[in-house]
Amino acid sequence: MNHRKKPEQEERKPSLVPPYLAGLLSLVVPGLGQFLARTYRRGAILLGSFISLVGLMIWRIQLAGKRVEGALEIIQKAYRLRPILIVLTVLMVIFYLWIAYDAYLMAKRTKGTPLGLIFMVLIIFFIMGWQIGDINPVALVTDLDEAAGPLSEVLWPWERAVTYPEEEIVATMPIQVPCTESAPPDVPDYGEGEPRLEAEPRCGQLSEQGGETGTKITLHGENYLPGKTVNILWEDPIGNEFRARQGGEYVKVVPDENGEFTIDIILPYRLLPPSATEPFYIWDLKARQVTSLGAAQASKELKLAIEKIIETIFIGMMATFFGVIIALPVSFLAARNLMSANKFTLIIYYIARGIMNIVRSIEPLIWAVIALIVVGLGPFAGIIALTIHSIAALGKLYSEAIESIDPGPIEAVQATGANWAQTIMYGVVPQIIPPFVSFTIYRWDINIRMSTIIGMVGGGGIGFLLIQWMRLLDYKAAGIAIWFITITVAILDYVSAEIRERFV
Amino acid sequence: MLEVKNLTKIYDDGTVALKNISFTVEDGEFLIIIGLSGSGKSTLLRCVNRLIDPTEGDIIWDGVNLAKLEGEELRKARRQIGMIFQHFNLVRRSSVMTNVLSGRLGYSPTFQTMMHQFKKSDREKAWQALERLGIEDQAFKRADELSGGQQQRVGIARALMQDPELILADEPVASLDPVLAHSILTYLERLNQEDEMTIVCSLHYLDLVQRYSTRVLGLREGEIVYRGTREEIRAMTDEEFQEIYGEQAQRVTGGLEGNLDEFGLGE
Repeated sequence: MNHRKKPEQEERKPSLVPPYLAGLLSLVVPGLGQFLARTYRRGAILLGSFISLVGLMIWRIQLAGKRVEGALEIIQKAYRLRPILIVLTVLMVIFYLWIAYDAYLMAKRTKGTPLGLIFMVLIIFFIMGWQIGDINPVALVTDLDEAAGPLSEVLWPWERAVTYPEEEIVATMPIQVPCTESAPPDVPDYGEGEPRLEAEPRCGQLSEQGGETGTKITLHGENYLPGKTVNILWEDPIGNEFRARQGGEYVKVVPDENGEFTIDIILPYRLLPPSATEPFYIWDLKARQVTSLGAAQASKELKLAIEKIIETIFIGMMATFFGVIIALPVSFLAARNLMSANKFTLIIYYIARGIMNIVRSIEPLIWAVIALIVVGLGPFAGIIALTIHSIAALGKLYSEAIESIDPGPIEAVQATGANWAQTIMYGVVPQIIPPFVSFTIYRWDINIRMSTIIGMVGGGGIGFLLIQWMRLLDYKAAGIAIWFITITVAILDYVSAEIRERFV
Repeated sequence: MLEVKNLTKIYDDGTVALKNISFTVEDGEFLIIIGLSGSGKSTLLRCVNRLIDPTEGDIIWDGVNLAKLEGEELRKARRQIGMIFQHFNLVRRSSVMTNVLSGRLGYSPTFQTMMHQFKKSDREKAWQALERLGIEDQAFKRADELSGGQQQRVGIARALMQDPELILADEPVASLDPVLAHSILTYLERLNQEDEMTIVCSLHYLDLVQRYSTRVLGLREGEIVYRGTREEIRAMTDEEFQEIYGEQAQRVTGGLEGNLDEFGLGE
């Protein structure tokens, strides 16, 4: 229709300026020639596109050419760093000249509307988008291996889901520092079969910084578990425990098949506080073996994830529940067929529709942020956010279901002499129950899916854990959360589809 | 006896659907109203049971002016008037049984019906109606699982539940094929002859009109343009029919009539 009328109109109303002038004017102000050729919409589109593209170009060039002085230097730097800007500049010049040529054609009243120029606008915008979006498919491919590590942890995180109870095998040997006339401490009385530790000598000198190394002590341990690493630790006189270090490495030893080991330890360097006035102090030398024993237990992360996924499901459920209760009456106000009786009800209809459209267009995450301000962190904020969004979304769906009911059965039930209540019960309710149930389940499905991420802004549920573990780079724990979310959503998806199919 | 006097209906948008219409239907008649779509047939039928409120005029049924009734009295009057619709107007997602029982709503206490409870006698009546129409084995299917002909029979069964003295049929066979059309009209004919119900029915096809009517009204643009007796309509040719009806009039199928036995519908 439009396509046919256009040439006629153009023929009827000749251009205000001769073709070459139109072209020249479009060189001064792109699109001006088209305006004067009375192709107003074309002129507006070209002018708008040109101005916005020039603006975008300036912005991108300034951004790429940061921290240099002078326009020329900025442009040079930008072109050097981002060669795609050169392509864009060339295209812009072609575009600019083409607009002028186009104005000439428009003023000349050639038949039809050439689409090449419009196509060019789209191409320039596309390349601009590529540049602004920092699109880099090469990086996507070449850097994929960097993601492999975290990704494999996310995909199979279940080692993190279990822990084993740990048992410590530890023996302590006191060492006197420094040696004095008084006898060094005896080897403690270790019980029969208990791990034991003997040292020789049992007193010595601490290492000095940049000076003499401390006394070397030969440490002998027995009754340890064979084959498992034993860590050697010191405990200084004020109770600070630290791992013994020699040559930059922590001191470790692996006991032989009898559970025995022998190792030389050099007394460490420690700065003695001025308050240390005693003639000698007792240091404890410890040999500690940590073993995991017994059956696997659910890890802290697993327990947390289970707790939070339950919370998540209930957030979704409660939000759906409240949403339905409020959306039901609202939907009747937003159903045109019920509200078009007079002007007053029609105004209510428009208000209800308007509010619902606005509320629905704001994402639940944003509602959650607003709710957080009111009720603080936690699941309640998430419930409020999802409830608000559910009311708007369900209200719309319900009201559309009401609008689309078949008036035939209502008429037929009325014709039998049924009263108002009976007409509703037999003519209306059977028609709206199935879509209502269907929409409600669908919404429940959406709400649980949403509640998994509403926690990311602090609205309770598993999203909070997920974002926290992600930021701690604990990909295995995050993997557990992701698995739970996926499983829950998949089950729910299936269940909701199944129920809806049964009902409708 | 149904007496329509000076009936006029003007819709809110200004459309004049019926212009000063008057006619009488004696008890036991099978009156057929013919006319194109938009000629006012549906409006006329719906004015009788007040699904549409007439703008002016009187509708006297058994000495009561239906046009002036309100509330409880209107509902009591409606119980006596069964209605059959072109698109059956069944609640598609409800069972056949529920649809049939809904014909009894006007006779049942509100509270019980809210709980979907009907009297035992009503349920028996529903079974009888279904048996009579040969669809008792469909009773617990959903209405939309039935074929068009079966759905219309459910519609008739629902009307029968009202113990009606008058049946309004708004193009009852327009959505059905010719064989089913005869089948449905045969049922109506039986109600007319065996149960002595008065029937007011709108139709499109001349041969159906000739076969079933006892009297005919022709409607065009809201006015009665033709009144004929059974004999007159039987003698009518296609050309005459088209004259009152307009260009689009047509026969269902030539030669179907008289061969009804083949379809098991003849008597």
